[in-house]
Amino acid sequence: MLEINNLRSRIDDSEILRGLSLSVRAGEVHAIMGPNGSGKSTLAQVIAGHEDYEVTAGTVTYNGQDLLELEPEERAREGIFLGFQYPVEIPGVNNAYLLKAAVNARRKHQGLGEVDAFEFLKLAREKMATLGMDPKFLNRGVNEGFSGGEKKRNEILQMAMLEPSLAILDETDSGLDIDALKAVAAGVNALRSPERAIILVTHYQRLLDYVEPDYVHVLSQGRIVRSGDKSLALELEEKGYEWVREAANA
Amino acid sequence: MATESENLESLVNRRYEHGFITDIETDSLPPGLNEDVIRAISARKHEPPFMLEWRLQAYRQWLEMTEPAWAHVRYPKIDYNEISYFSAPKSDDDRPKSLDEVDPKLLETYDKLGIPLHERARLAGVAVDAVFDSVSVATTFKEKLSEAGVIFCSFSEAVQEHPELVQKYLGTVVPRRDNFFAALNAAVFSDGSFVYIPKGVRCPMELSTYFRINAANTGQFERTLIIADEGSHVSYLEGCTAPMRDENQLHAAVVELIALKDAEIKYSTVQNWYPGDENGVGGIYNFVTKRGDCRGANSKISWTQVETGSAITWKYPSCLLRGDNSVGEFYSVAVTNNLQQADTGTKMIHIGRNTSSTIVSKGISAGRAQNAYRGLVRIMPQAHGARNHTQCDSLLIGKECGAHTFPYMEIRNPSARVEHEATTSKISADQLFYCRQRGLSEEDAVNMIVNGFCKEVFKELPMEFAVEAQALLNVSLEGAVG
Amino acid sequence: MKQASLSIESLREVVRRLPDNGLTSSREAAIAHLGEHGLPTLRDEDWKYTDLSPLIEISNRWLTAGGRQQPSELPRERIADITSSIDAIWLVIANGTIDARSIATVTHKGIEISRFSDAPPPFAVSRPLADLNAALLQDGLRIRVNVSIEKPVGILIVDRAGESAAVTQSCVEIQVASGVSAEFIEYHASDGDGDHYANSVLSIGVGDGADAKHVRIQNRSLRHVQTGQTSIALGRDSRLRIASYDLGGRLIRNDIDIDLSEPGADVGFDGLYLAGDGQHIDNHTRVDHRVGPATSSQEYRGILNGNCRCVWNGKAIVHQGADGTDASQANHNLLLSDKAEIDTKPELEIYADEVKCSHGTTVGQIDKNALFYLRARGLDKRHATQVLTHAFAADIVLRVPVTGVKDAVTAIVESRLAELIEEDAAADLLS
Repeated sequence: MLEINNLRSRIDDSEILRGLSLSVRAGEVHAIMGPNGSGKSTLAQVIAGHEDYEVTAGTVTYNGQDLLELEPEERAREGIFLGFQYPVEIPGVNNAYLLKAAVNARRKHQGLGEVDAFEFLKLAREKMATLGMDPKFLNRGVNEGFSGGEKKRNEILQMAMLEPSLAILDETDSGLDIDALKAVAAGVNALRSPERAIILVTHYQRLLDYVEPDYVHVLSQGRIVRSGDKSLALELEEKGYEWVREAANA
Repeated sequence: MATESENLESLVNRRYEHGFITDIETDSLPPGLNEDVIRAISARKHEPPFMLEWRLQAYRQWLEMTEPAWAHVRYPKIDYNEISYFSAPKSDDDRPKSLDEVDPKLLETYDKLGIPLHERARLAGVAVDAVFDSVSVATTFKEKLSEAGVIFCSFSEAVQEHPELVQKYLGTVVPRRDNFFAALNAAVFSDGSFVYIPKGVRCPMELSTYFRINAANTGQFERTLIIADEGSHVSYLEGCTAPMRDENQLHAAVVELIALKDAEIKYSTVQNWYPGDENGVGGIYNFVTKRGDCRGANSKISWTQVETGSAITWKYPSCLLRGDNSVGEFYSVAVTNNLQQADTGTKMIHIGRNTSSTIVSKGISAGRAQNAYRGLVRIMPQAHGARNHTQCDSLLIGKECGAHTFPYMEIRNPSARVEHEATTSKISADQLFYCRQRGLSEEDAVNMIVNGFCKEVFKELPMEFAVEAQALLNVSLEGAVG
Repeated sequence: MKQASLSIESLREVVRRLPDNGLTSSREAAIAHLGEHGLPTLRDEDWKYTDLSPLIEISNRWLTAGGRQQPSELPRERIADITSSIDAIWLVIANGTIDARSIATVTHKGIEISRFSDAPPPFAVSRPLADLNAALLQDGLRIRVNVSIEKPVGILIVDRAGESAAVTQSCVEIQVASGVSAEFIEYHASDGDGDHYANSVLSIGVGDGADAKHVRIQNRSLRHVQTGQTSIALGRDSRLRIASYDLGGRLIRNDIDIDLSEPGADVGFDGLYLAGDGQHIDNHTRVDHRVGPATSSQEYRGILNGNCRCVWNGKAIVHQGADGTDASQANHNLLLSDKAEIDTKPELEIYADEVKCSHGTTVGQIDKNALFYLRARGLDKRHATQVLTHAFAADIVLRVPVTGVKDAVTAIVESRLAELIEEDAAADLLS
């Protein structure tokens, strides 16, 4: 589904990704771990198409097409979803409005009819109930005045509504209490299917107790330095990132 | 990736949709201004002597006055003798008596403007008084209104039918010599709307006027007078359009609102006069004096305006809060693009006790436009317990435009609480990226964010006009990225 | 209302009799400019709240009486009081004359002091009151700080009014060399019973990478009039902190113009004005952001009691291309009397889009709940009012950037506040 080959990317003058390669097939869950500054978030932003990150070398193909050629919204409509580490506040813009516009943009792209307000609300309320969210969220401004946990749940709600083919969750687990973490994990697990792939970008092993990954990759200095199964995450938890750095330098 | 400038380009190149010219015969006075012209206007309208006298006094006062230069706008000097001060569609009879008698070409015009008088007015439950150039051509729903005792007619008709009301209230809020443009209007105004809501009556429907300037070299000088008697309530909307012409046209209107004890007037404007082309050629000079007088205790006047048109906008819908506990509100969205200039805001004059006012101004500037908010909050010494809150936000789209804020606060009572906040920002790249990551196009994302920015104002508009205002905004700013 | 106009003829006459110390040509140019444009009136937007009639009237009386430049008795004790209570390198301008003895005492090698008459500056077109200053100036003071110094440099501008009306001018140029840290104190004081108008002009140039701090204290007699024009230019990556305290004066008008033409400049200025019966204090500030990135932030607070009027007008202009500008303005006022008036106007003119600009203004009174709380804890009303008023002023007092002057500022602000609240108590008794 996603093939990343020798990807290099920089922001301003500093190179963050230095020859990263990764292959993700449908049905898989990949966890990407690594210390702060190793390039985890950059990878997520590059896949989503943030213009601040310049790709200087390498290729990214998604279902056979050159992903780097696409606008951010085209990537989204093709089924790529990024759960942001820091979801932005958009004052005055109704949460439901954005969500409906996003759902319909995707549906239109897929050649499906737009959902009407009634269907949309019904669907949204169902998803919110499973995530333990108050339906009042729909009428608030996008992330406006949301707590950290509320923002993250909101990201998961959007993901649940948009049903992406490839979901990338950038530290969606950080700063959550255990109930919120379980709700987020439930949202992710509900999305798991043979047609979909999920990339979990995380600093801690904690989320992986609830969402079991097929593969774990360790990122350091812009490259994947170790790959393995879920036991790698536990090993990492035990030995710390220092161990990875040593491995990377070795 | 689409660049910002490309999108800005598409915004800039958007055509003015209402810029067609209606080909009908008009009965106009030749250009020029002197006492004879004023006598001619008055005579054509069969006005009683008090009106002529009032006009002539205004004219003499106007001659003594100078055009204001303090606003943050620039334009070549206007030659007031090159303007024709009267233009009426020529009909076989005097005026159409009902909608059926209206020249079909005129009705077509309104159709093109998106105001089909027949359907839309009825469906929306809106009574429309349409002013085309200088005279009122059709007034609908008169009967239903007259059952409630509401008078809603053209100003000319009011002068004939209700001279006592006109004489009692005309010029009591905006005196003849209030300012240069108000004096000019008082001298030459040709028509407008008149509303009287009797005691205790809640007007059964939204009242609405559409203004349109059609004839070339014509100034439009309409005058609106709304009186809400004790305990009454009315919501009024005006919409404005003008055809595309290379020369600038002058629109110098006056609106006077009077709210007596416990009365409430809500006045909404969607102003979409022709703004000129992308090089600043043509467009309306919109120099308007609007003022409301909360004359009685517990009265309320609320101004809501969505200003997207005009080459130059110079208007400050204001409230005189004279009655104790009276309330004044001003909600404004002003959009300027290309070479448009706007200097707009409000004045809240607190005179009565426990009066309160709210000002919410949202300015959006794009292209090479200049957009200024100018406001005055004055708390008089006797205005014990006065409150004001002002929120004034500007959004800049592009590097060549300007956004300015000139708020004046003059506070002479120690019990006053006055708060003013202003911010200036552009659409953040993070907000755009977030929306695009969710699959929205850049254009849709900008529209959505701008609409969110204006939300506090749009929610003040009557429902059917809020939709129109949003659409208008999207047309003006499609795809703009800061 | 027709404002009196300055007698240009008498002015010309008085200026003609000034000794020729090299400033003659700039004096003549200033008179010509002033003659052409005149002094501003209430019709001028920047002057609509401040009537200059009192100072014009004093000036005309003084000019027609011959415009005597010789100092009357110098306020020696006042000078000694101030210079001994604040530890600084003091330079004194008394009754419009630079005190040569104070210059002689400056021995620090890093500080260069000279007079305009040593090297006359060319006349530069400026604001009308600066023209008046240039026309009547006996001599100006130049201070150049070439190395970072520990002690602040103090400029004391002090006048003693005699029986007849008098007008004095002062003009000071400060230049802080690149990379240098320096602190300044500008202190205005006056006493005496006669009518007096003091007109000052100050320019501050902060070199590239320099770090300057400036505290201005205006503590004139409540009978006297003062106007001041301050022009500030900041170099690349330089920093300036200003705090300004207006406590005295009958009619005070301050204009501060700040020019940010070099990237990386950062200026912060705070002001406090305390006005009681009969006072009119007007602060006009203007910041020109010509390039980015640069930061300006200002906060003025005012406490008004009795029959007085204060004006605050803050203007930030972000010129085209000044991307990366961060400009903020705040003005907060406490109105304690029904005879007090505040006219406040924070203005933004923005011609660039990569900017962060905001302003906030409030006018209000002491929080009744807070007042009640303190009274419930046993403070009497006057004391409680004083505590809360102090709290309102405290932010600006605590931000005084020159450490050595903190105690002096605290003391004079407290004593002036105590006087203001007394006025309130007196008004309560009378009512």
